[in-house]
Amino acid sequence: MAVGVSVPMIDSQERVTGTIAYALNAELPGTLVGQVLRSPHPHARIVGVDASRAERLAGVVAVLTRNDLVDQDELFPYFGPVIRDQGVVAIDKVRFVGDPVAAVAAIDEDTAREALDLIEVEYQELAAVFDAEEALQPGAPILHERFPAISSGFADVILHLDEGTNRCNHFKLRKGDVEEGFKQADLVLEDVFRCPPVQHVPLEPHVTLAQVENGRVTVWAGTQTPHVIRAQLAEIFRIPLSHVRVVVHTLGGAYGAKCYPKLEPLAAVLAWKARRPVKIVLTRAEDFLAVSKHGVTIHLKTGAKRDGTLVARQATCYFNAGAYADISPRLIKNGGYGTAGPYRIANVHIDSYAVYTNIVPAGAFRGYGISQGAWAYESQMDMLADELGMDPLELRLKNVLRDGDTFATGETVHDMHYEELLRDAARAIDWQPAPPSPFEGEGLGVRARRGKAITCVIKGTVTPSTSSASVKLNEDGSLNVLTSSVEMGQGAKTVLAQIAAEEASLPLEKVAVSEPDTDSTPYEQQTSSSRTTFSMGSAVGLAVRDVRRQLLVLAAEQLEASAEDLVAQDGRVAVKGVEDRSLSYGEVVRKSRRGNLLGHGSFVTQGGLHPETGQGIASVHWHHATAGCEVEVDTETGKIAVLRFHSNVFAGRMVNPRQCELQTEGSTLFGLGQALFEEMLYEGGQLTNPNLSDYMIPSFEDLPCQLTTRIFEQPGVSEMHGIGETSVPPVMPAIANAVARALGVRITDLPLTPEKVLKALAEAP
Amino acid sequence: MKRLVRLNVNGFEQEVAVAPHHTLLDVLRREFKLFSVREGCGIGMCGACTVLLEGKPVSSCLLLGVLVADKPIVTVEALAQDGRLHPIQQAFVDHTAFQCSYCTPGFILTTKALLEDHPSPTPEQVKHYLAGNLCRCGSYLKIMDAVLDAADRMKDQA
Repeated sequence: MAVGVSVPMIDSQERVTGTIAYALNAELPGTLVGQVLRSPHPHARIVGVDASRAERLAGVVAVLTRNDLVDQDELFPYFGPVIRDQGVVAIDKVRFVGDPVAAVAAIDEDTAREALDLIEVEYQELAAVFDAEEALQPGAPILHERFPAISSGFADVILHLDEGTNRCNHFKLRKGDVEEGFKQADLVLEDVFRCPPVQHVPLEPHVTLAQVENGRVTVWAGTQTPHVIRAQLAEIFRIPLSHVRVVVHTLGGAYGAKCYPKLEPLAAVLAWKARRPVKIVLTRAEDFLAVSKHGVTIHLKTGAKRDGTLVARQATCYFNAGAYADISPRLIKNGGYGTAGPYRIANVHIDSYAVYTNIVPAGAFRGYGISQGAWAYESQMDMLADELGMDPLELRLKNVLRDGDTFATGETVHDMHYEELLRDAARAIDWQPAPPSPFEGEGLGVRARRGKAITCVIKGTVTPSTSSASVKLNEDGSLNVLTSSVEMGQGAKTVLAQIAAEEASLPLEKVAVSEPDTDSTPYEQQTSSSRTTFSMGSAVGLAVRDVRRQLLVLAAEQLEASAEDLVAQDGRVAVKGVEDRSLSYGEVVRKSRRGNLLGHGSFVTQGGLHPETGQGIASVHWHHATAGCEVEVDTETGKIAVLRFHSNVFAGRMVNPRQCELQTEGSTLFGLGQALFEEMLYEGGQLTNPNLSDYMIPSFEDLPCQLTTRIFEQPGVSEMHGIGETSVPPVMPAIANAVARALGVRITDLPLTPEKVLKALAEAP
Repeated sequence: MKRLVRLNVNGFEQEVAVAPHHTLLDVLRREFKLFSVREGCGIGMCGACTVLLEGKPVSSCLLLGVLVADKPIVTVEALAQDGRLHPIQQAFVDHTAFQCSYCTPGFILTTKALLEDHPSPTPEQVKHYLAGNLCRCGSYLKIMDAVLDAADRMKDQA
């Protein structure tokens, strides 16, 4: 059995010897260094760009500006996964501080940097807007007067955009009658919750090496979406998909930051102009300008009966998309329906908006809109419990989704495990059923207060979606898995090898898993949304079954038996009950003279939501996680210490338990940083902390005193669930609720800095 | 202007032409093709570019190449001997003490220095010593397990 075992990662050797072939290391003979000139203004019209002095500098091979992109037919100079609103470099306007305006390809970094200073850009500054709600007001500066082209390419994306405004999408969910629901309620709470944009900070920055030669475009890119990149480059260069090749090696972290085109169009078009390979590596400061998590404001109104039964919920979510749409049009859907939470609520009314503003574009971020919604609804659940005088755990247990209930999207949910998960979280932190009251800590005497909390969330996986895989059974009986799933530290290669080994009944050592290369590995929609183990794992399983069918047909001929009488096990095909009549897989392949056997599998899920009501199938299955935590707050300094944190998640069936733990621990720490200190700070549209000194990420010293995880399974019953991000969203409200319980004050905007704690204490009645 | 500097890297001495403003990180990657040394932040905060200089962990992004002539520099490429992983590397493999592994060489080298200073470190010492190496994937608990296990393994070998 290969599945269910904590084998070491199959690529461990290269991980500890430092030899992973990250895109950062990629080089071709004659590769030029590419560097990017960025806008100093949040919003401005470009009057003119003069690159002549830069072009004359010795060692400069090419300078790319808008002048290369306008009035020509060779290239389509825009990109964007849903709305083609981003120029390869800025064409008519710049829309955020850091927007690429020009790029230089030169023989070395020093020359490229010097050339950037020689490019002259004349700007006409425009009024800018940074807040999503302000950007929707009449008279607000408009970022995109028109969209060059719209083509979602994603089956699940519903568009309600409004050209000539800053609204780049609107998701609607209508279930039941929300007004009637509020009338039935004994208690209605209305609150506003905010969280700021934060950054993914993958330690390997965005990197692309590009080559344009013989009518073909090749990029080696640090991307989670090789096939999306291929499609966008084919569109830009107006060439068939077959003429674009995207090669991806293991990524040094991604967390959503490397979904959809980022650097690739710019690097490829610069290489086209230079007629030589060009490599662009972003600095840390530039990487902060590539993409962020959406800052959001959520107006949340929830009605409950006196006994705690939730009867109505209305949410209006303003997701700040920043300057370009990126994947916002899809993300606000998840962020929209997700704000209903894992609760049985008969009447739900949600409006979720993606809004253009003049800050860094927001995109996919581990948690994908669910973190923002959960921050609001799980904070409010504890506020509701306090108002009702109920135990917050009991309030959740009373309302949480169970098998056969309907979710906000109207779909019936199955395989729900919230009760088990919530009780586990409660046990882990010694939750007391009595209404908790603040109590003094032991360590710091009267200065310290302690509090506990429990939270739960629901998260979907992108639906409908498509994964396909091929496998190659070789003449020595070993197996290659050809997949475009991206290894980015989540252990995809190992998990897919384990699944293939189990399906093929081969030892793990005989299985190898490819790197994505769109010339040879089959279509994969995206490596994100916690979908690889489930979706690509299923495709790999189908591909192995396909090859096994072929193997049995061939072996039947060779063993002079009927295929139904054969069994393929432990690398051999044998006639059932006749042990000496058997052949190894390799022998069957050799005797067949096929060279190798090729199997293929495609895994396609169905679903989708109604464009006006948001009713339908949002997710093929539902990821669920809960958290329990205990904090100690120093009332003199405002500092929050996390004493205990317990994260649990439902996995259906684990492929590699240790990797599941790693993902869950990692998700918890990802949430912890966002809860306590992570925040992108802006002044007049200028990001002021784009470095790891002023923007901190969790270190060893930030670990909770005690961090535990538990992964729940139901082997043989449940599907395999992805767990890459489900444990992020419960963290932020868990810590805030524990702080509220410790201090009796509520903070509604992240992060929970000591300053905010002290201010809240000072303002407390 | 570049000038010739003799560097002692992983036991070999080599003269390379180095511009005065180029960091040791630049030199190790560009001239020596030692790709285990990786920039994460460029300002000495993350530890991804850690190398051992005269046995001590340093951020190679903060050191100029011309200033480290003749001083022994060790990168993680030099740790495995005769194809056998160093006990610290093996412990990291056995505990899956990584996810994306971009930070792993830095953690392994800092651990090597830690275990030379403290052959039997307490968990608190490990936390404190490794606090300058950041793992954005959040593999800290498994790194702790690997470091404590490596300490045991190295004592057994000694």
